[in-house]
Amino acid sequence: MSEAPPPLLDVRGLTKRFQGVVSVCDVSFTMTDGEILGLIGPNGAGKTTLVNMISGTLTPDEGEIAFQGVPIRRVPPFRRAHLGIGRTFQVMKPFLGLTALENVAVGALFGFEGGEHSMQAARDQAREWLSFVGLATRVDQTADSLSGPDRKRLELAKALALRPKLLLLDEAMAGLNTVEVDEVVGVIRQIRERGVTILIIEHIMKAVRSLADRVLVLHHGEQIAEGDTATVFDDPRVIEAYLGKRRT
Amino acid sequence: MRAWVWIVAIVATALIAAGPLVGDPVLIQYGINALLFATVAQSWNIIGGFAGYPSFGNSVFYGLGTYGTAIVMVQFHLPFDPWVTFGIGLAFGALLAVLCALLIGLPVLRLRGHYFAIATLGVSGAMQAIISNLDIAGANIGLILPLTRADNMFYELALALLVACVLTVAWISRSRFGMGLIAIREDEDAAASMGVNTTVYKTMALVLSAVFTAIAGGINAYWITFIEPAQAFDLTLNVRMVIMAMFGGPGTVFGPVIGAFVLSAVYELLASWISTAAALLFGVVIVLLIIFMPRGLADLFVGLRQQGPAYLMQNVRQHRL
Repeated sequence: MSEAPPPLLDVRGLTKRFQGVVSVCDVSFTMTDGEILGLIGPNGAGKTTLVNMISGTLTPDEGEIAFQGVPIRRVPPFRRAHLGIGRTFQVMKPFLGLTALENVAVGALFGFEGGEHSMQAARDQAREWLSFVGLATRVDQTADSLSGPDRKRLELAKALALRPKLLLLDEAMAGLNTVEVDEVVGVIRQIRERGVTILIIEHIMKAVRSLADRVLVLHHGEQIAEGDTATVFDDPRVIEAYLGKRRT
Repeated sequence: MRAWVWIVAIVATALIAAGPLVGDPVLIQYGINALLFATVAQSWNIIGGFAGYPSFGNSVFYGLGTYGTAIVMVQFHLPFDPWVTFGIGLAFGALLAVLCALLIGLPVLRLRGHYFAIATLGVSGAMQAIISNLDIAGANIGLILPLTRADNMFYELALALLVACVLTVAWISRSRFGMGLIAIREDEDAAASMGVNTTVYKTMALVLSAVFTAIAGGINAYWITFIEPAQAFDLTLNVRMVIMAMFGGPGTVFGPVIGAFVLSAVYELLASWISTAAALLFGVVIVLLIIFMPRGLADLFVGLRQQGPAYLMQNVRQHRL
């Protein structure tokens, strides 16, 4: 009998404190290949902190993270990108002085397994990713001249150019209008079809409901619910965390 | 980069190389100075302009190059022709600078922005104090190198070094390495999360910067023949290389070189007209440049072609002056 392969991401007892304030407390979950996990919770619940620990921007105080069965707690962020973990930032971090094409080319040059070594190949790939997210007409514009929604798409294209196996999307749709949200939801579906596993932080519940297979809810840093999307959205504790207690 | 830029650069290099044919010693001396300034400004451009780390430690590399060369030529008593010894000295000075860049780079490059600038400033002060207390370096008194009268030789050497430095920067600007540095400059966290090994890239940039700066220091040492700590580790040199690189256009291939040539010429002209007020006027020139063209000459050319004189006023407005 062969052993079951390890989950793509295995998070065990992750805890992060900021000078006494517990931002993330004892969070554990796993992600299997090809799924979309929604990470929701009110503001300040610790969602971004959790993503920062997975991408390596922050080091956890306690707990362990394993990616494809390999512990990565002490692995620096750039090497996690080489392993196949890509992310977007909630506070977007475009390379403002560079064109959209150059922004995305950086991902192609340095991403999965150390990236592409030829500049020309990286540019070609960047062009493809830009048209994939709908920025084909903005290729040569500098990032600082792009509108907010376009910057969101650029952020997505940059992360995709890394060719990640696991994509961490930190509020990739915040500030978009309904039409734009639908477009990005479509793009995320296509990304999943390419075999990418996705962790998505989102406040737009409609998007989470239509995309996520499972949902994890954080509240004050604690994991208050986890399960398939429909069940979690009916959980009274989740409703309470978002809307407050029903008065009887 | 467009072909005509390179054609202009090659023609200009040939003209500069033919400088000694004019036979004016003052011109040659000005030339050596300007070429060395252009080299150190271009070297600073690698760490300051591309990686975005405003180093005030580059005068340390210059000083180490100066002293490395001088110590080999004066203290080692090598049985070679002075020019061979000089070559060994340059290599030794560059080696010292590289070691220093590695040693200070790993801790200091963890700091960002102003903190980095101040930390490198501290290194500069410390190094001057160390050299002033080393007997092999002549302590406070300094060292006297063998006297040579070969200004044309120094002129061509300085030009060769500058060409090597510009070619290196041209390679950086179109390489994967350069893209990594630019990504670090634009947003270091984003660069790291996109797979750029920021520590290695920043250190490499500082090392490259150190090599060219140190060799420039070594050439200067043999040319002026007398060196002492305060002048070898002069911080105003570092300030000048920053100003020249920023004026020309940081992060561009030819900007810092043009910036260095223009500002050296302005300074020399001011000094010859009104000797005492030259430094003051130089300051005024710099303030005007910062107000009207904060992103340097390279950006000015592009801006003027696109928008005409409105470009100047737009800069003033943008920076709320």
